[in-house]
Amino acid sequence: MRAIFKRELRSYFHGMIGYVLTAFLVAASGLYFMALNLGYGMTDFSYYTLYRTIFILLLYVPVLTMRSLAEERRSRTDQLLLTSPVSVGGIVLGKFFAMCVLFALPCLVDLGMIFILWALGGTMTALISNLAGLLCYYLMGCAAIAIGEFLSGLTENQIIAAVMGFAVLLVAYMMPSLRSLFNAGSAVALAVFTVLAGAASLGAGLRTRSFILGCLSFSACCIGLCALFLLRSSWLTEAFSGVLSALCLFTPFEDFVNGSFSIPVLVYYLTVTVLFLFFTAQDMERRRWN
Amino acid sequence: MIEVSHLTKKYGRNLAVDDLSFTVEDGQVYGLLGPNGAGKSTIMNILTGYLSATGGEVMVEGHPLPEEADKAKACIGYLPEQPPLYPEMTVEEYLSFAAELKKVPKAERAEQVKKAARRTGLEKVLPRLIRSLSKGYRQRVGIAQALLGSPKIIILDEPTVGLDPAQVIEIRRLIRELGRSHTVILSSHILSEVQAVCQRILILSEGHLAAAGTLEELTAGGKTLEEVFLELTGGTPEEETGEGEDE
Repeated sequence: MRAIFKRELRSYFHGMIGYVLTAFLVAASGLYFMALNLGYGMTDFSYYTLYRTIFILLLYVPVLTMRSLAEERRSRTDQLLLTSPVSVGGIVLGKFFAMCVLFALPCLVDLGMIFILWALGGTMTALISNLAGLLCYYLMGCAAIAIGEFLSGLTENQIIAAVMGFAVLLVAYMMPSLRSLFNAGSAVALAVFTVLAGAASLGAGLRTRSFILGCLSFSACCIGLCALFLLRSSWLTEAFSGVLSALCLFTPFEDFVNGSFSIPVLVYYLTVTVLFLFFTAQDMERRRWN
Repeated sequence: MIEVSHLTKKYGRNLAVDDLSFTVEDGQVYGLLGPNGAGKSTIMNILTGYLSATGGEVMVEGHPLPEEADKAKACIGYLPEQPPLYPEMTVEEYLSFAAELKKVPKAERAEQVKKAARRTGLEKVLPRLIRSLSKGYRQRVGIAQALLGSPKIIILDEPTVGLDPAQVIEIRRLIRELGRSHTVILSSHILSEVQAVCQRILILSEGHLAAAGTLEELTAGGKTLEEVFLELTGGTPEEETGEGEDE
């Protein structure tokens, strides 16, 4: 894992990509820092700078992660990695940590900005809440990186990986607004869950090449959903809104922006990270069997 | 030693390897011979742990795959059909990376890289970017990478494809030399190549083993290897004129 981590990190600085990405994010946060924090004398770095640069992450993360696994597959170097005595988990983690370190560089500059605010007369409370905000921002970025790495593992084409990453993060970014469209009630929830069950059954049927299994699982899901709809329709609506709110990747960060320290939010980001790294490893493992 | 029994590999409904069994003894050069699409690369990818088999057993130096994959992989050096190179690295960086990946202790790394470079004639290009190397040199970097970690078994998938005649001669000489200290398995669809470097030949046809033995055993009936090959595979060998006669 260490070998992969070191090579990966170095590869970002062999070309321009590591420098350009870091400069891009530093410039964005520097702009907000200058204009709002320094210009108006605001000490709340989380709200005035970090919160406003989230949309920059929508571009930064896909470009950072697009080549991680897609490029290995395209150039067949994955054969070297997978035939050496290194586990699939080690490969996934080595790449993930390298990207996390690269993302830590602009965050270190942000850290410097936070201390500048403190040195210019910010209170201790503001300093601590800014630091907590930065920690949450970093973990949020790492969760997005894990999602990007997973998407990069699905394709051999970097551009497709980047576009998919951008699309997924954009949907997550807009999810708070999209959610309001789906607040119509349990009938909509039933319809959406039925479509999801249909898609999952189709996937299961195709994977196992068994038409009967696909039909059986779909009818079982439909019966279950209809029963829920008739007996406990509120459960469906709650489950639905629970699913939707879990998809709002960037919303939990707002807790930290409001100056409160929230352990569940940190746990949420760590969970997303671990989940997607697990999916990445599973997908690589699956590819070797098919 | 590699023991393969009843190996089967399916890609979807397509049967790539069909109930294949063979044993690779230590200290010999084996040639996997077969027309395109006979399953040579698939078999090599399974032996090296890159792909998983659909059925059957593979034991590498007593370690079953995929249960003890890490131990089995440590015994094998592998050059895939397309050398797995990172063009933005220098040859030296790449080889030390490969050595670290193969868990060569830090103290021995530089020494092993130097040794592998010496054996493959890469000493002069060590500081150069892989991007700028010719195809023959890239192939050698791929072979050097396979030598790192002193594996007992070296597997080479079509090591001479796309090289010019002089490079082919050099690579064949290198393989013969490797055969003295390692077990070597190489795949090829070029008869003269297998004839020139291999002590034992396995002929594959459509995923199953059509014949196995030494060159003398296979040609015992007074036929040439080409005739035997055509009879067993029903295909045409891709004899490339002008590069076969390297002796």
